[in-house]
Amino acid sequence: MKHYVLIRIKTPKKTNLLLKLNHLNVEMKDITYESDGLKFKVLQKDLNRIKKYLASYSVEVIDELGVYKLKNEMKKNCFIITGIIFASIIFLILSNLIVKIDIIHEDATLRELIQDSLIEKGVKPLSFKKSYEEYERIIADIKDEYQDKIEWLEIDVEGMVIHVRVEERIVTNYDQDYSTCHIVASKSGIIKSITTKRGVSEVSINDYVKKGDILINGNIKLNDEIKNRTCANGSVYAEVWYQVQASMPLSFEKKSDTGKMRYNLMIKKGSDKTVLLRSRIKGEKRVENVLLFKFLGFEFYLQKEYELKVENFNFTPQEAKEKAISLAKEKLALKLDNFESIIEEKVLQNTIKNNNIYIDMFVAVKEQIGIKEYFVR
Amino acid sequence: MVKKMHILKNLENFLYDQDYFIDLFNHTLHVYYYTELITLTDTLIELKLKEFILIVEGKDFVVNRLDKHEILIKGIVENMRFKR
Repeated sequence: MKHYVLIRIKTPKKTNLLLKLNHLNVEMKDITYESDGLKFKVLQKDLNRIKKYLASYSVEVIDELGVYKLKNEMKKNCFIITGIIFASIIFLILSNLIVKIDIIHEDATLRELIQDSLIEKGVKPLSFKKSYEEYERIIADIKDEYQDKIEWLEIDVEGMVIHVRVEERIVTNYDQDYSTCHIVASKSGIIKSITTKRGVSEVSINDYVKKGDILINGNIKLNDEIKNRTCANGSVYAEVWYQVQASMPLSFEKKSDTGKMRYNLMIKKGSDKTVLLRSRIKGEKRVENVLLFKFLGFEFYLQKEYELKVENFNFTPQEAKEKAISLAKEKLALKLDNFESIIEEKVLQNTIKNNNIYIDMFVAVKEQIGIKEYFVR
Repeated sequence: MVKKMHILKNLENFLYDQDYFIDLFNHTLHVYYYTELITLTDTLIELKLKEFILIVEGKDFVVNRLDKHEILIKGIVENMRFKR
């Protein structure tokens, strides 16, 4: 690589100097005429020859060029550069170090149990943080290991502290006899179909039943005498009624993501927030903040700015009413299984208030109402 | 596929194959492969080339680049002659 330097030679006779330099076969670039001399770029080896053969001239080296300048600058500032690199390494180490594990639960035994388990899996103070996937695996392992003790476990990394939130599993032992049961009505209605797999049917099609009535009896009787007891099984469908309220705005604004996302950086100190870069999303946007690290009370966030598309919808009262009915039916249909269905619906009342239409609906539904009710022999 | 003409590249290749060449453009004179710089002042430049001596007269000549065989001069060229 050619090593160029920028030099200045003082002389009132500039053309004479150029001729002399030409006779020395010196290669010169970017020659600038100054009031008291010439400034130009020469090769380092040519500079040595200039100094040797034109010793009477005052030669001043202004700057090194290219890689050599960088090298020179680095040499000059080696302490600062080393300091920055060292500080960065320390900062990187500290920001990836765990100093405290905070297990949040009132039971000391459970806390100790989880702490031991975490230490065994390499999560301990003064060790490096692990990736999200590794924490997920550790959580799964601990939950698997203490299935009977832990209901739910969460590891939350906040700066240099790890918060472990745990929910204890409470095992309830019911002294319940599961061998005998009736099928009873979970709500009032008119029976539409009944399928008995085990037990004795107590109701017929089109019978009106009230909540709690026995539909399929677990007691097998003969001449009013109980001959056998079983856990009744079967399905009972009945027409039940709901009064449903639904509302729909006559006009509204819908915001949806366009798929365009840009990154930004934000520093937070207490309630003060400073966004470092100019936002590249011009119109409406929503922002998600991801905490990168905390340092000296400052929180550094990576911001994800999502561009939003704004759409305005306007409905006539009739359209809004139809939409509200359809919405109410959709909501209700979500609760129904494959054998259940809406029989009929009727709007009882509709009112328009504050740019909204409110409807009161009566809905008749064919629904499974039979539930098991255990009893003691 | 679009075929490019590469006029400038071809011209450059042609010129650099020659023993010497002289370019004059926008108050700038470029001489490639001179053999000797005979005279250099801010009004007169004499360059020896393979077959002749190039005499350039003008005003405010300043040398922008200079090495053993190539020179780039800026200034107002008023007269250019060849002496064989």
